[in-house]
Amino acid sequence: MNRKGKIGLALLLGALGTGGFILAQTQSSYTGPKVEITYLHGFTGPDRPVMEDLVKRFNETHPNIVVKATAQPWGTTWNQLEPLVASGRAPDVVVVNEDQITRFIARGALTPITPQMYRSANIDTNRFFKPLFETASYKGQSYGVPISAVAYVMFYNKALMQKMGVSKVPTNRAELLTAARACTTDKEGRKPGQAGFDAKNLETWGISLYNNWVGARMAYSAILQNGGSLVDKDLNANFNTPEAVEAVQFLVDLVQKENVARPNSTEEAELAAFSQGKVCFFPSGQWYLDRFEKTPNFSFGVAFPPRIGNKQDATWGGSSHLTLPVQRQGYDPNKRAAAMEFINWMSAAPQNLVWTSTGSLPTVRAVAQDKKFETQPISGIFDKLDSIYATSGFPWGGQVLGPFDGAWERAYLGKQPVKQALDQGVDEANKQIAQARPNFR
Amino acid sequence: MTRASDWSPRRGRLFALNDSNPLVPYLYLLPHAAFFLVFTVYPVGYGLWVSFHRWDLLSDQQEFVGLTFYRNLFDPSTPQSQFFWKSLINTTLFTLISTPLLVGAALGLAVLLYRPIFGRAVFRAIFFMPGILSVSVMGILWRWMFDNQSGLVNVIRQEFWGLPVIQFLTTEGWAWVPIIVGTVWWTVGFNMTLYLAALGGISHSVYEAADIDGAGPWAKFRHITVPLLAPTTLFITVTTVLASFQLFGQSQVITNGGPARSTQSVIMYITEEAFGNYQLSSASAMAFVFGALMLVFTVIQFRLMVKDLNTSRER
Repeated sequence: MNRKGKIGLALLLGALGTGGFILAQTQSSYTGPKVEITYLHGFTGPDRPVMEDLVKRFNETHPNIVVKATAQPWGTTWNQLEPLVASGRAPDVVVVNEDQITRFIARGALTPITPQMYRSANIDTNRFFKPLFETASYKGQSYGVPISAVAYVMFYNKALMQKMGVSKVPTNRAELLTAARACTTDKEGRKPGQAGFDAKNLETWGISLYNNWVGARMAYSAILQNGGSLVDKDLNANFNTPEAVEAVQFLVDLVQKENVARPNSTEEAELAAFSQGKVCFFPSGQWYLDRFEKTPNFSFGVAFPPRIGNKQDATWGGSSHLTLPVQRQGYDPNKRAAAMEFINWMSAAPQNLVWTSTGSLPTVRAVAQDKKFETQPISGIFDKLDSIYATSGFPWGGQVLGPFDGAWERAYLGKQPVKQALDQGVDEANKQIAQARPNFR
Repeated sequence: MTRASDWSPRRGRLFALNDSNPLVPYLYLLPHAAFFLVFTVYPVGYGLWVSFHRWDLLSDQQEFVGLTFYRNLFDPSTPQSQFFWKSLINTTLFTLISTPLLVGAALGLAVLLYRPIFGRAVFRAIFFMPGILSVSVMGILWRWMFDNQSGLVNVIRQEFWGLPVIQFLTTEGWAWVPIIVGTVWWTVGFNMTLYLAALGGISHSVYEAADIDGAGPWAKFRHITVPLLAPTTLFITVTTVLASFQLFGQSQVITNGGPARSTQSVIMYITEEAFGNYQLSSASAMAFVFGALMLVFTVIQFRLMVKDLNTSRER
């Protein structure tokens, strides 16, 4: 998976060598006869050898369980999982991402994992960050555990900040506004608010906002921070509440009123501008870390997005979860027990530490405290890993996120006032949800 | 000595193990027919069945909903109606603009590169080469070229000519420019090759006769080249129109259908409905309506052009 970053074998070996954990054989909860289980995942990019190596280690340390792993593109799995379940040929363990998991749960394709099952497999669910673990929950039941995570973060350009006299990375709305104003200069060297300031010809600016789905995740984060959400308790779209409108309006004002962000911009253009030292703050996926680390003479840092809203810290996150698809009646209980043991081992701290070499954030609390991360830029967000929220919990992901992303685009580009754009998005989403409901439980 | 009667068809028996068996021609057709039935007739029939049900793989019973998903396309209050027709208009617009460019540019290039000019083979290769790229490579390339801020086109406009920046990727209308320019660059070489082959089939004596009559280059092009290339033009136009209506990758990669769905094509919307919204029955219904429109359109196009072809031959 490309967005999950790519760090090679060197880092993997580094993690193994310097990590605070040792890849010791954990106590296996499975004591039954020898079984073979199938494992389907979508880690087909540079993360594939890391996953294959972990599976090999599991097989070596568990003589009575043989895991046969298959890697295939995520999209293929999303299209095949239901037919596989329907025909009784689903793999024993499947990795499902945050944007698909609730759909499969509500379609009845995944098996709930009961507290008793967690206990039997020695899985302490508190080992994971709570919102991350809850990503795989639906109507009070759990359906999987996280093994990989990404998040929306805020990169900052240290050199430009210093040049502009900004000494502190902003953590709230007021600080962001002050810092962004300080970072903004037009081609003639004038600042926002000064006479003759030309907002159309910026030389440097405060923050990168842009039009695609990644850009829309800034709006999602701000809405959460304001106490809003994408859906209401009945899971209908409601990203046009006063909290949501207020949060998105603040972001749009950064472009239209404050002139501290470029209008009509694209992710690529902002990415280039940030690397070239033209913009102080670049909110985006943490998967760009690797790219910035490879940019010569580039001094940057990574921070949790500033709290724009007035309720809580929050940012968007993506994740991958180990799940148990529904099997035919008469399914071998030994296979289920072996699958749970595999889930336990794969999601445990030592293995999760190895997995972070692929660019994933820790999914387990203990890993986030590992010394390995102390000197790395990404550690800037580790104290707030508990505030990362996936766009999950409703089965109609496409029906909500498509219109939401569209609404952000129209608002950011100034094609519609914020309220109108969000209202239109909610209206479209709810019409589609009404049509989708009969297909879900 | 072979007698004539050996070659005349004979009435054979159904179980005879020789060429006179009336089943022989059908046996020759069988391999193709089997593939045709399995990979064309069956999926199309199955798709039609899906479009009349609320398709649910995980349920034992599929709810029959009749024409509901077809009706949705004609009910203005549904998102399907709104976006399906909008995407159809978008796709038609793309086809109307890109087809004349793709046919005209291909003809122009072919005529230029048919002559024995210096470096002819190199130029032919250069124009043909983009066609071997995948749509994602081509799409990313043209997205970069036309980026609002960092794109080469805007940089040149600004730095060299002092012109204002055009927000190609986020302005309705302008967003078509990178898609159309990219498509022409990407696919014109294939049509050009077809024209080059057809030009090779025109006898030199026709041009020599025209020379004797005192015809200039333009007159020869207009009265000899164009009419004699008409069958090729028909073929190229029909295939280009059909290919243009299948627009997908270019919009997906360059603009992601935006801004405000203004460059979303029909196939893109059907894909969104099927694999974004997981409304497979609804997507099937759209696919059938779109397929039917294409069929009607192609028949009309063939009729018009064949008529045109016949008229030009009679002249």
